[in-house]
Order: sequence, then C-alpha cells, then structure tokens
Amino acid sequence: MTSLRPPASAPREYRFPEFAHHRLDNGMGVWLVPLPERELVSIHLLTDAGAATETEAQAGVASLTAKLLVTGTQRLDAGAFAETTERLGIEVGSESSWDSARAGFTALGSKLEDGLALLAEMVRTPRLDAGEFDRLRGERLNDILQSRADPGRLADESFLREVFAADEPYGRLSGGSPETIEALAVDDVRAFHAANYAPDAADLVIAGAIDADGALAAVERHLGSWTGTAPGHRHFRPAQRGGRRVVLVDRPGSVQSELRVGHLGIDRHDPRYFPAFVMAALLGGVFGSRLNLRLREELGYTYGARCSFDPRRAVGPFTATAAVQTEVTVDAIRELLGQLERMRTDPPDEAELATVRDYLVGVFPLRFETTGGIAGAIEPLAVYDLPSDWWQNYRHNLESVGTDDVHRAALELVRPDEALVLLTGDADRLRGELEAAELGPVEVIPAP
Amino acid sequence: MAHVPIQRHLLDNGLRVILSPDPRAPLVAVNLWYDVGSKHEKPGKTGFAHLFEHMMFQGSANVEKGQHFSLVQAAGGTLNASTWLDRTNYFETLPGHELELALWLESDRMASLLPAMTQEKLDNQRDVVKNERRWSVDNQPYGDWDERIQALTYPEGHPYHHSTIGSMEDLTAASLHDVGEFFATYYAPNNAVLTVAGDFTPDDALRMIERYFGPIPANDELPPPPDMTVDPILGTPVRELVRDTVPLPRIYLAHRIPPFGTDAFDALDVAADVLGAGRASRLYASLVREQRVAQDASVFAFPIVGGAAMFAVWVTARPGVAPEKLEAATIAEIDRLASDGPTEADLERVNNLHAAHAAGTLERISERADRLSMYTCLFDDPERINTEVSRWQAVDAGRVRDALSASMRPENRVTLTYVPAKEAAA
Repeated sequence: MTSLRPPASAPREYRFPEFAHHRLDNGMGVWLVPLPERELVSIHLLTDAGAATETEAQAGVASLTAKLLVTGTQRLDAGAFAETTERLGIEVGSESSWDSARAGFTALGSKLEDGLALLAEMVRTPRLDAGEFDRLRGERLNDILQSRADPGRLADESFLREVFAADEPYGRLSGGSPETIEALAVDDVRAFHAANYAPDAADLVIAGAIDADGALAAVERHLGSWTGTAPGHRHFRPAQRGGRRVVLVDRPGSVQSELRVGHLGIDRHDPRYFPAFVMAALLGGVFGSRLNLRLREELGYTYGARCSFDPRRAVGPFTATAAVQTEVTVDAIRELLGQLERMRTDPPDEAELATVRDYLVGVFPLRFETTGGIAGAIEPLAVYDLPSDWWQNYRHNLESVGTDDVHRAALELVRPDEALVLLTGDADRLRGELEAAELGPVEVIPAP
Repeated sequence: MAHVPIQRHLLDNGLRVILSPDPRAPLVAVNLWYDVGSKHEKPGKTGFAHLFEHMMFQGSANVEKGQHFSLVQAAGGTLNASTWLDRTNYFETLPGHELELALWLESDRMASLLPAMTQEKLDNQRDVVKNERRWSVDNQPYGDWDERIQALTYPEGHPYHHSTIGSMEDLTAASLHDVGEFFATYYAPNNAVLTVAGDFTPDDALRMIERYFGPIPANDELPPPPDMTVDPILGTPVRELVRDTVPLPRIYLAHRIPPFGTDAFDALDVAADVLGAGRASRLYASLVREQRVAQDASVFAFPIVGGAAMFAVWVTARPGVAPEKLEAATIAEIDRLASDGPTEADLERVNNLHAAHAAGTLERISERADRLSMYTCLFDDPERINTEVSRWQAVDAGRVRDALSASMRPENRVTLTYVPAKEAAA
C-alpha cells in the first residue's frame, strides 16, 4: 500500500544557529545567538535560584520570589512597571522550576535596549513590596486549591508525593505546598533574592534580531556593574518510596480516572540520555507510540496515552499518563502495565525504531523556528553545563541509538514491577474492582 | 511588519490555492481549511463535524489506518487537525523536501476516504471522542462553560446554539451512513482552501497540487450556507447559576457582537485587549491587583463569522468574595471603558503588544499558513494577513467606545455563575 507514497526530494542541510558564549567580569554568562533575518528578539535571564536553592522549611520561596519580580522595581511600582513594559510591547515573564529561575520576554528587535534595561532593573533592584507579596501568596494558595479540583493536576501532584520516599524534596511541587507557603513572609523573599540572585549564578541568553557586538555592549551597560555571589543549589540523591502498589485518590463523581504509572527515572547527565529519550518516544512520546496505539487507537479507552522522563539535576520521575473512562479503569491499568512490560520483552525491530528515530531527527529544525525556541535550546547548556557542541551532535547522537540500546534502556529504566499505580477517581465505584484485580496493595486516600 | 508574499490560484474543480514562499528555514507547511464546522450540523447530530475530523485519520483508499500520522512523523513532520464552529482545518509541517508527501496524503483522503471506512473504526473513534469530551468537559471544573454560554447566547435552533464537542447521545447515534453523507457533501475541493507556506518553489508546488488535487471532482450541489440570522442583541438579560464541584466562584459574561470581519469586531478585539491583555489591562489592574476581588480575569472576542459573534469575559473570585460583588466590579470596569473610551496610553499599549504578538505568530510557517487559509475561507481575502496590524492600529478611542456602548448593555448580557456546591469550600 505504501507504494504510492511519493519520493522525497533532496533534503536541504540545516544546522543549529551559531552562537557565542562570553563571561562578564562579574561572572555572569552571556549567550548570544544573532539571527539577522528575524524581527523578534528573545531574552532569557537564568539564575540558579530554583527550588533546589531553597530549604524545605521554606518550600515555595523560590517560586514566589520569581513571580514577585514582575511586580515592580524600586523606581516603578507594580502598575507603573506593567504599564512601562507593555507600552513597549513587552510582556515580562518570570518563573522558576527545580533547577533554575527564568525571567525574560520576546519583543520586536528594536526594543532590545529598553527591554534589557528594564529586565536588569527588575532583577537587580526589585520592589519586593509587602502588599504585592501578600497578594501573590494568596493567588498561589488559591491556585493550589483550584489545581486539586482538576483531576489531571491532582494526579500529577499526588504521584510525586507517593512515588518519592518520604521527605524527598522532589516529592512535592517545585512551587511549594500550602503549609510552607502560608508560613512565608515578605522578608523571606527579600532574603532569598539577596542571597541567590547574583551574577555569578546567572546566565543571559539573547537570540534573534541582534548585532552581536552591540548586544554584548548593551549587556555590559545594564548588567556589567551587577555584583555579588550566590551559594548555589543543594544536591539531592532521590530515593523511591517502595515497590508496586496502587494508590487511589478519591474524587467522587469522576467520569474518568486519571492514571499516573511510573517510578524514578534518570537525571540530566545520565549517559543513557539518548537511548532513554528514544525509548520513551517509542513507548509513549508520539502519536504512533505503543501506548497510544493500544489504549487509544485500538481500545478507545482514552483521548491519549503517553509517557516521558523528567530528567533534572538529580533523578526525576518516569511517568506514563492517560485519562481513561471510569468503566474501563482496571483493564486500562493492565494494558498500560502490559505495554511497559512489553517494552522489556519485545524490543522494537529496526523498522519500528526508524519511524520514531527519524521523527526525532527530522523534526529538529522545526523546534528552532522561533527566537524563543532557540533561546530555550541554549538554556540546558547554561543550566546543566552541557558541552557547547550539544546541538551540533544532537542528531548524530539520536541516529546512533540502535535497537539493542533501546532494549537495554527499557530493561534498566522501565520497571513495571516497581511502578506506583496512582489514579484519581471515584472510590465507591473503583475500590472493590481494584482490590480484586491484584495489581498490588491498594490504598485509598482522600484528595487533599 | 514583514510582508507575507501571497500567490493565489484556482483549480478547475474550485479548489482555492494559496502559496506563500519563505526560504528562511528548510520547512514547509501544508494547511487545508474545509468550509464546514459544527454550525453545519443538523439537529440530533451535534459533535459530528469533529467526530468526522477524527475519521479523516483512519485511512483512505491508499493509506492505512494510522499511516497518515506515521508517514508524516517519520518524515520529520508534525501534524494535526481541529474543528470549530465555522470550519475544520488539517495541517502538516515538514522538512521542505517532503512537501509532496503531505499533498499526496491530503489529496488521498479528500478524494477517497470512504473506501477505508468501517464500523469498527467509527466505534473506536467514537469512544476516543467521548473520552475527549469527558476529559475536556465532563470531568473538568467549569468544563461545560462554553457549552452553557453558547446555549444561552444563541437561541434554540441557531447553528451556534450548540458546542463543537457535541452531546454524548448524538455521538452515540452517529452512523457510517452519516460519515458517507457528510463526506460527500462537504469534503469537496470547491469547499476547501489549500495553503502551502515555507521553503518550496511555487511552480513545482503548483504542478504537484494540480496532479494530486486536480482530478478530484467538485461537488456541484454544495448546500447553501446555514441560516445564521440572529437579532444583534439578546434583548433581555439572561442569567444562569450552576452549583458544581468547583473551589472558587467564577463568572462568565457573554454578549452578542457584530461578526468577525467587521470594523466593529476589530474595535471590540482592541477593547478585549484593553480590558484583559497583560498586567496593565483594566481588569487585571483593577480587579486582581488593586481591589483584590479576582484571582484572574480573561477577555476574548470569538472570531466567528455567522450572524453574531461573541464577546466573553471571565473572572474567578478570590476566597470570601461574593460573586455579586465581583460581578458588579467587573461590569463597572467594562462600563467605564464603554463610556470614557480607552486612553492614548491604552491604545499604545495594546497596539505594541499586538504587533509583537502578530510577529510571533507569523514566525511559524504553520501559523502563517493557517491564517492565509482562514482569511481565504472566511472572507475570500488572504491579503488580510498583511493588513491585520494596520486594521488594529486604525481603531481609535471613538470606535472602541461606540462598539462597546452598542454591545455591552445589560439587555445584551448572559451571566453564567459557578458557585461551589459545598458552600464551606468558598
């Protein structure tokens, strides 16, 4: 049947854009990606001020600090800062993850100088106003309240809590939990900012319509006189909570069960990074993956099933995900676990592997269509200190993954016997069936 | 703003073709808009246009089930489709040297979907779509808001009265016969626009398009468009209260407004951003930052073309804030803008945000192709992509004031309020 498929013409070569890496005297890294054909410029300021730099007693302070940055500077209050930036067509974002905090924006290239000046002012001399702190802390608590009514977000949060051993930092959301957030005061945010936002812990990425020399001079003007040093992040060695078990988070009235099945995965520097990435794509990363084909296209149990690793500085989770209709929950869990097992016992042949590998290799230029996409691609180089030829070698590294590598990755990194099966759903309808299914010890817990 | 190049062609079978070459990246986007959406559905067939879209990925005469996805992805491409009130679109973005693959796949299903249809495939995708509905509507806090708001804003029998996802009962009732009839009626070249954008040679592309799409026969009996006539305003305030398992009250306000494509719609699109885009927007500044009665605030003018479009505002209450108080505070801001109009600073702000946003959208060839298809399908005018920003900038304070005053009236307002079923949760 494929005989009618038209042949491809000759491919055009594509390379990841050239970029330059500098270091200012104050220790800040500067990454410049000039893209002369673009209209836009994306600026990302990365700081080692993610959740890995806060203490557990203050969980959430990193996230609140990042979010509070956009509420003004010592010169401009929250309203004036919003007005000043947005009148330039700039919407400044600021957020944090486990491994970094990021402030930045995408704007027309002509706004580079003004935007950079405001971004530098925001990070160096933020207002950190008590009233705005109270407001954002309240909004964060409300967002957690809202998220726990959303079955998918409730399942995500619950999975982390249950899959990591007790007291592991990764067992919570990087934004903190209500208990620790409520205890935070504006002085905690001020102290966190003073300690962790410093040039020797920061990297600035600029990609787009810039002239490299001019941009570097502008960076010197606005951030060259920034001083200070930061202590850097904590080091984790995450441990898993236990072997195979089933945890049902009761959500009465649910018409679907949100499944999260998995265990610990890999960290960002794992030598198996590429085989793991290809294996996860084949199992649950593309439309034609094994999980999606079986649970969606054959059984119709779900709108979509997928899986992925979440590699961080330390070992993050491996999770398979699907929202399945309540009536088929137990069978869907069996099928999902069955596909994890099959990944170990039934490795792909060259044809199956090629479909996925060719996708990951071929889609490479598409990931870098936008200035934001290119600036984002520089981030892991800065945050994880990856080699500067990472993207030059990226497609070759994918192409080098063979069926044996995928199989080995599956045997080492997919362990259904140790998987936590977490689901949100209606306990009245599911408890008995789950217990009878002998998938592992069943625990039913209320939603928080 | 960079000028988007446009070449228009018309095949003998009525297929409108838009070519927009751009060699910057070695990528090509193929985008098809079919002039059929949920507004074309008959009574008892809600959700069918969307279910049909799923069937378009189940194979055709020369393509097996799943192969559309696997061939495009193995070529290093991405793809998807979506259905909305007015239209259904299908799109692929691939390395430029695989253009012919996308054209062949799209033409094969336009020419010959039905030989591949089976009851088993329909049953499978019906289950998938029902799970899509459960996931996005039934199991989601506030998930049925658009279904409710459409039903309240447009009268029974109006094509916008029902939502695109449709009802479970109607999905259950969909048959293979319906698939055949829908395909024969709407999936014809003279009911579609094909856009190719990115790295390709127009002459080569046109030759391929002629080869693959040229032989597909037109439907000479396209049905007349559905009657979209509706009073420009509701005439009387409409309210609905929903007690649901939501943690915080949320209020949705909806108004009938002039359709997408009119000058008044442009003015209201600007008004939506003055009210709701960014942290300096009126609603964010007043309700979220200063009064602290809202957790968030959003405003959206639905770009739909039939009869009347819709201007929607939604705000979530902070704990302890009565919905009545939040509603009054929200309406006060809308009324203030309607009576005083935006300031020069408001207009400068939203125009600059919009210009940056428009440039960001057009950075992606897939978005460029989609907009070209949209403007051609809805207005037969792809050049609108190049006048979008200037149309916005032409909107002055008087037009915003006039358009808001005409539409943001109590007798033209639907108020849908969700409150926690358990009062304690509020």
